[in-house]
Amino acid sequence: MADPFDPAHYVPEAAAAVGLTIAPADLGDVTQAFAVLARVAAQLMAIPLPEETIAAAVFIPDDGAGR
Amino acid sequence: MTRRTARELASAVRSRQRTATAVVEETLAAIAARNGAINAFTAVAKERALAAAAAVDAAVGAGRDPGPLAGVPFAVKNLYDVAGLPTIAGSHIDRDRAPAAEDAALARRLTAAGAVLVGALNMDEYAFGFSTENTHHGPTRNPHDPARIAGGSSGGSAAAVAAGLVPLTLGSDTNGSIRVPAALCGVFGLRPTIGRLSRAGMRLFASSLDVGGPLARTAEDLALAYDAMQGPDPADPACASKPPEPTLPLLVRGVEGLRIAVAAGYYASQGAPEAFAAVERVASALGASERVELPSPGAARGAAMIVTSVEGAELHFQDLVARAQDLDPKTRARFLAGALAPGVWYAHAQRVRRWYCREMAKTFANVDVVLAPATPYPGFPIGQAWIEIAGQRLPAAGHLGVFTQPLSFAGLPTVAAPVADCGPLPLGVQIIAAPWREDLVLRTAAAAEALGAVASPTPV
Repeated sequence: MADPFDPAHYVPEAAAAVGLTIAPADLGDVTQAFAVLARVAAQLMAIPLPEETIAAAVFIPDDGAGR
Repeated sequence: MTRRTARELASAVRSRQRTATAVVEETLAAIAARNGAINAFTAVAKERALAAAAAVDAAVGAGRDPGPLAGVPFAVKNLYDVAGLPTIAGSHIDRDRAPAAEDAALARRLTAAGAVLVGALNMDEYAFGFSTENTHHGPTRNPHDPARIAGGSSGGSAAAVAAGLVPLTLGSDTNGSIRVPAALCGVFGLRPTIGRLSRAGMRLFASSLDVGGPLARTAEDLALAYDAMQGPDPADPACASKPPEPTLPLLVRGVEGLRIAVAAGYYASQGAPEAFAAVERVASALGASERVELPSPGAARGAAMIVTSVEGAELHFQDLVARAQDLDPKTRARFLAGALAPGVWYAHAQRVRRWYCREMAKTFANVDVVLAPATPYPGFPIGQAWIEIAGQRLPAAGHLGVFTQPLSFAGLPTVAAPVADCGPLPLGVQIIAAPWREDLVLRTAAAAEALGAVASPTPV
């Protein structure tokens, strides 16, 4: 399967969409760092999980004692 | 004095052989004389330390119990709040932040046990690193070879203990940030079960994964400090409502009856031969010959990277928008990349975590303790960007977390212990148990220490 991401194309577009300005001098490093994440994510997304696998992050409503 | 353990110092103060004031004065003098060579401290709290020491001496003089850590000097990674200091978390951006109004919860608990806070310690900016090569505050140097890294992100916490400046420090561990520097500097470090200790008053990096914990030169000192810090805290919504479960009285039990195995496969590759040989020596001393394959380490590490990158970027998003150029060049690109990750990656990584934790639980139905390398190699020269391992060119700092990241993703309690007789550059072994079984990892570490298999080396 072809890599769904071309980080060199995606990074500047996504940065603009969320209001980030990436300095030209940093663009190569950011693209490289994002490519690492994309590679890792592609492997991760290929792990099939049943719907009933509930995320580990648990939200516990604050009872007022915390902050 | 400066190689004395916390236990020895507290005993001397409690029995009136020494005053806390004398101990703290000696510590402050050692920091002034020797910190320059390793750059572990970023702030020294001289006046408050002397005042706190005087209060301990007054308690002893009045016949009151000064606590189990009476007069023990300690210091904290500079992401912990210290009253009167800005909590900079290794950054330049936050140098003008308002001073903290009170100490972080864990520092307050150590203080309540009689310990004396003497300063704050260097780290990778916002904890995003494994080497403490901090551009703003300078690199922390390894006391065993100042040309080499101390590891990170709690590099100052490990180096200060290794150099004998203080017997006890606090670090934090998201993906290995206590265990990696402890291993490279040759000290003991405890990453407790996630949710065990309060994080109130700490500046977090990735809240799904962050925990605080102690570093020291003996397993006993880890237990002493850890016991003093346990207990629920409503100020941290992720801190479990568990009563303290003291570990210090259990250390004498040793490893009798424990099923100890060595992690195989992934945890026996991707590193230098000496890292695996070190684990084998500890396993041999403990009589552990069984091998165990831990589930899906590669997927766990990948998911940890996604969770860390996204949560870290979210915490600092306003600064990424407004002043990214003020971030450390060592962290800037990775923070920016994390801000661009699609949400489905993050949500899936969190669900992978749940699946992975269940798989990991099956392992601990059959074994009590697992041994694995702490790092794939010892500390490398400061400034080195790449390293070659088994024919692969890898990022030298990033790869340091290859064996720690999958384990913390399951939230497991782990001690990193310095393996004896590693030569001039320390290496560590991870001692791992099921969630909430800090007692087992501390017992095993203490037993290995009693057998001479692990020991904190004195820098030459």
